[in-house]
Amino acid sequence: MNQPVLGLFKYVDSMVEAAVMLKDTGYTVTVFSPIPLGAELDPIIVRKNYIKYFSLIGGIIGLLFGIILTLGTAAMYVLPRGGLPLWPATPTLLLTYESTILVGVIFTLMGFFVIARLPYYGKKRFYTPKVALDSFGLLVEDIQEDKIEEVEKLLHDYGANEVNRVEQP
Amino acid sequence: MENISYNEVNEDVVRTMTHTTWKYWVALVTCAVMATVLWGGAWAYQIYVGQGVTGLNTPTFWGIYLANFVFWIGISHSGTLLSAILFITATPWRRSIYRSAEAITFFSVLTAALFIFVHMGRPWNFYWTMPYPTTRQLWVNFTSPIMFDVFAISTYMTSSVIFLYFGSIPDLAAVRDRVTGWRKPIYTYLALGWRGTEAEWHWLSKSYTFFAVFIIPLAVSVHSIVSWDFALSMVPGLNKTIFAPYFVVGAIFSGTAAIVTLMVILRKSLKFEKYITMMHFDKLCLLLLVMSLLWSYINVVEVFSDWYANTSVENETLRYRMFMPPHSYMYWLMIITNSIMPLLFIFKKLRTSIFVCVVVSIGINVGMWIERYLIVATTLPRKYLPNMWHGYTPSLIEISITVGSFFFFAMLFLIFVKVWPSVSIYEVKEDIGIPMRKGFKRH
Amino acid sequence: MSGILTKLKDKLQSYRVPGYRTKFEYKWTMVVDLDRCNGCEACVVACYAENNLPVVGKRDCDISRRFSWIRIERYIEGEYPDVKVKFIPIMCQHCDAAPCELGCPVYATYHNQDGLNVQVYNRCVGTFTCATYCTYDVRRFNWFTYKWDSPLEQQLNPDVTVREMGVMEKCTFCIQRIRVAKDTAKDEGRKVTDGDVQTACMQSCPTDAITFGDLNDPNSKVSKLAKSPRRYRLLEELNTDPSVIYLKRVMDEKKGHGSSHG
Repeated sequence: MNQPVLGLFKYVDSMVEAAVMLKDTGYTVTVFSPIPLGAELDPIIVRKNYIKYFSLIGGIIGLLFGIILTLGTAAMYVLPRGGLPLWPATPTLLLTYESTILVGVIFTLMGFFVIARLPYYGKKRFYTPKVALDSFGLLVEDIQEDKIEEVEKLLHDYGANEVNRVEQP
Repeated sequence: MENISYNEVNEDVVRTMTHTTWKYWVALVTCAVMATVLWGGAWAYQIYVGQGVTGLNTPTFWGIYLANFVFWIGISHSGTLLSAILFITATPWRRSIYRSAEAITFFSVLTAALFIFVHMGRPWNFYWTMPYPTTRQLWVNFTSPIMFDVFAISTYMTSSVIFLYFGSIPDLAAVRDRVTGWRKPIYTYLALGWRGTEAEWHWLSKSYTFFAVFIIPLAVSVHSIVSWDFALSMVPGLNKTIFAPYFVVGAIFSGTAAIVTLMVILRKSLKFEKYITMMHFDKLCLLLLVMSLLWSYINVVEVFSDWYANTSVENETLRYRMFMPPHSYMYWLMIITNSIMPLLFIFKKLRTSIFVCVVVSIGINVGMWIERYLIVATTLPRKYLPNMWHGYTPSLIEISITVGSFFFFAMLFLIFVKVWPSVSIYEVKEDIGIPMRKGFKRH
Repeated sequence: MSGILTKLKDKLQSYRVPGYRTKFEYKWTMVVDLDRCNGCEACVVACYAENNLPVVGKRDCDISRRFSWIRIERYIEGEYPDVKVKFIPIMCQHCDAAPCELGCPVYATYHNQDGLNVQVYNRCVGTFTCATYCTYDVRRFNWFTYKWDSPLEQQLNPDVTVREMGVMEKCTFCIQRIRVAKDTAKDEGRKVTDGDVQTACMQSCPTDAITFGDLNDPNSKVSKLAKSPRRYRLLEELNTDPSVIYLKRVMDEKKGHGSSHG
């Protein structure tokens, strides 16, 4: 593979236009930004929300866990207390409610880690601190050897302040 | 906020973490020493000698410790709950205050959780209240409201820590890029290798929404469950259906007041005037006004239904609370600070005056502490059998632990502002707007 | 797996149908005849001796930390000379629907198969919930580790635990005596009969105001007394279903101080 090229933009709309153009040509583009851009990036990529499945599965597991824990405890420790039935409804509902949320939250977090591939402490990946400040980065990959200069020029034309060739990680 | 540049935000926030004056160290050391002596020392003495060092007695088994517990749980309802509600409703003024508000949540839940152990007779056996497998076949009783508490508070603590940390990941990455020396490896580790790619932002915001959705019903349930510690008993004055909403409203009320107080301090000491503006105080004080009216309404309803029912036990509790010194002084002070003083916020001029904000918000917290204190200290001494009636006066040990808890909380918060970006960098940038060729685009 | 399931099923059935929480093997019941009680507090002293209750001293008594598991409540009605004095001994009511049992997070207090509300000292972590929920204020807390000066420790009852600090306790209906009676009965292959168990307070009562026995046995003394028209239970309107039955004191409404005074 050849060297990827990074264009740093000041304005989001310029970057999006460049990205759409490059993507249509067949390059792989990755956007780096200091803030979430949300709907601004719709022309480049629209992602589905997979997190919700994790939340749902977590919630269901939590629900079952809560029910099994409370009813199971009552069944294992058959001790009359306070004149309640062996399986009283109120505590079961309350604890199930809490455990649904707890396991739901933990699964959502796990889902994020799995999908976003974080935490990542391994081999160095491309990153420049500028994208955590005020620049919007556009990383263009899969460029043919002879096309690099063309891409660089294109990025400049679209208004990139800075265009660099990135060391292959 | 258009006149702030993106760069400036990073610089300002990281500056608060790396530049420390001697005043900070004086404050931190004072708080740490006071917390250790007043809380740690007194608690160690209490554990060694026994609960007898408190002013508790036979009908009044719960005293100031439980009041503190409820108070700190109440404070905790400011941050995470408010932050989640404002996030879901996409309220723009949330952005520069929510991070420290969430920190308030975590630290006050921690303080509150410690108070459960302080009030226990045998705190060294605290782990018996956890459902864990043991060869002794010991298990927990899920019908106990205390058990609901254990579950609710541990869930709340876990979720609010996740919520706080999760929202900070991009900021920790921004801090990682700017710090040097011993801080570098720590923040590199904490930032989890965040790069700010479009995919990461996407999953972050999706997950964040789910956390917010989980947190709102959780926070409401937590304070309801705390109220059921009292309301599920048969003690006159405690056994009331209105307690759950009363506690939830009171919690948001006191929590918001705590945010206002701490924001004033934060704004002054960290020079955040640019980010925490008068507009924020205006909005928060409006919220305080609404909560105050709600709180007063519930308070009136509670007294009214007792008074109208006219049963001897309820009458005695009301009389003991409202007309018998010393509790009557505290009661009417509470009415002044919680129901009357917040009415000042009707006027916009007073909402945007720092001085009025501080006075009223501190007043509200004093009033809310009194409310929690009166709930335990005026009902338990007046249970059913008059022969056992006995009043309660907190002992010096109890007061010392109570004061110590405030220093403990302050200490945690002081540590927080130095190790964590206390204003959200990326969301303040969102507040500035997305830079377009034609200028900033704001949501 | 199937072994566990059958075991679980048996266990559940044995408690849920028919006996769980309503029908006990024995239904220990105490009947206190207030017509006979003269408030002499002999029962209180006997209880201190039997159950190793510490004497807490003046300061702690002043702030309502006295340790008596049974107490005589004294109420005075009217103005002198037209006064009526009433006594009522109050101990743990061993409620069948006990509020304290709900509150304990660690099962330190629960109902046993004899219908007693029992307290497991070793299990107690001291959250005070049971005592707060108790509507009769009969629970006592070990505020300190109380010491008996020599040679007083010689008089401690060897059948009863000496409790350490941080533990809740209360009247047990002299469970150690119930145990002995049940063991003897088991050795002799019979059920515990009426009169086998005497609680310390009952034993020491000079006027025989206290009667103790099994309510499940229709011929026992308590079963007969429980049918008395004077019967009532303390704070019955709270639906705690207590096991202590009081027989109301019949007082002459018209006459004053002379005749009604204890």
